[in-house]
Amino acid sequence: MSDVKVRIDGREVTAHEGMTILEAARLVDIEIPTLCHSPDLIPSGNCRVCVVEIEGARTLAGACHTPAADGMVIQTRSPKVLTSRRATVELLMAGHTGECVTDVHTDQCDLRKLADHLEGGAPRFLMRKPRWYPIEEANPYVRRDMSKCILCRKCIGACQEIAKKNVYGIAYRGFASKVVVDFDDPLTTEVCRDCGICIDYCPTGALSKPAKRGGVQ
Amino acid sequence: MNTLQEQTLLSRREQASLLAKLKEAQKEFGYVPREFMAETARALGLPIGAVYGMTTFYSFLSTRPLGKYVIRICKSIPCCMQNAAMIIDSVAAEIGITPGQNTADGRFSFELTNCIGACDMAPAMLLNDELHGHLSPGKIAEILKACK
Repeated sequence: MSDVKVRIDGREVTAHEGMTILEAARLVDIEIPTLCHSPDLIPSGNCRVCVVEIEGARTLAGACHTPAADGMVIQTRSPKVLTSRRATVELLMAGHTGECVTDVHTDQCDLRKLADHLEGGAPRFLMRKPRWYPIEEANPYVRRDMSKCILCRKCIGACQEIAKKNVYGIAYRGFASKVVVDFDDPLTTEVCRDCGICIDYCPTGALSKPAKRGGVQ
Repeated sequence: MNTLQEQTLLSRREQASLLAKLKEAQKEFGYVPREFMAETARALGLPIGAVYGMTTFYSFLSTRPLGKYVIRICKSIPCCMQNAAMIIDSVAAEIGITPGQNTADGRFSFELTNCIGACDMAPAMLLNDELHGHLSPGKIAEILKACK
């Protein structure tokens, strides 16, 4: 494997061929935020918070899925990047309800953490009706609160690629898009047993371990 | 593309063949029945969620039987900016149902659709295959009265 030389935020980085911009940046401890990315999963590049500016490119590029190419000059915190990243987080926050804004569970929500980190204001965008869902507690291993879901699809990837179960799919369209089981059915123990792998990948607490009966979460 | 990616993602060919099957079902049954989705998923080795997902994504595929007259109001941006919301409300008032429902007598189905390419006639709708543009509440009442 040959090496590629890139420049990230003014620093010379030598990466291996095939590495993504995100991986190259992490070699030198340049932090690029991500929500839908996990090193264990195939990059889907759908949350858009990891966007970076590449000199000469027409648009911003997702760092988690764009391969680093020899001679690339990359900015991870330019004004253009930060403006886009803040707007993306604002849009995600507008479709994300839940106690993370005020409650003790704040620390479980990566989106909320990222919003803090970027020092964005309150969302300018209106919340949309289809983004509210009742909490699903049919399954003793996975509790689903889809109002918190930001459609990052990590649970789909984890179920497919790691658990090899393929329980989740994505249905509907636009604001109404939702991670579903079969025909948007409850997650019963018939389709999903006890692995709970998806919970570890959820960045917002939309998936969580149910509280023990009679206990405190 | 690595092997894992090849194994787990729907290939373009699979997607195309799935969509063709769903369109056939829509044509034959007037909607895509649950049993058909389950059977197709089994035949193609896909999770049911993937088949249901594709069916619900497309405005012209339906997961429930539709009535004699299918009203499809465009909800894309140009129609929205020409007050499609008012048209949606006036259809709802005329036939007493909201988008996603059928009238009890099976005469009307009320749907919202993505762009139908009639932006120059916004707000626009399809009544079965017939295009109606430059809609107003008065025009809606007239059009629907003609539906026997």
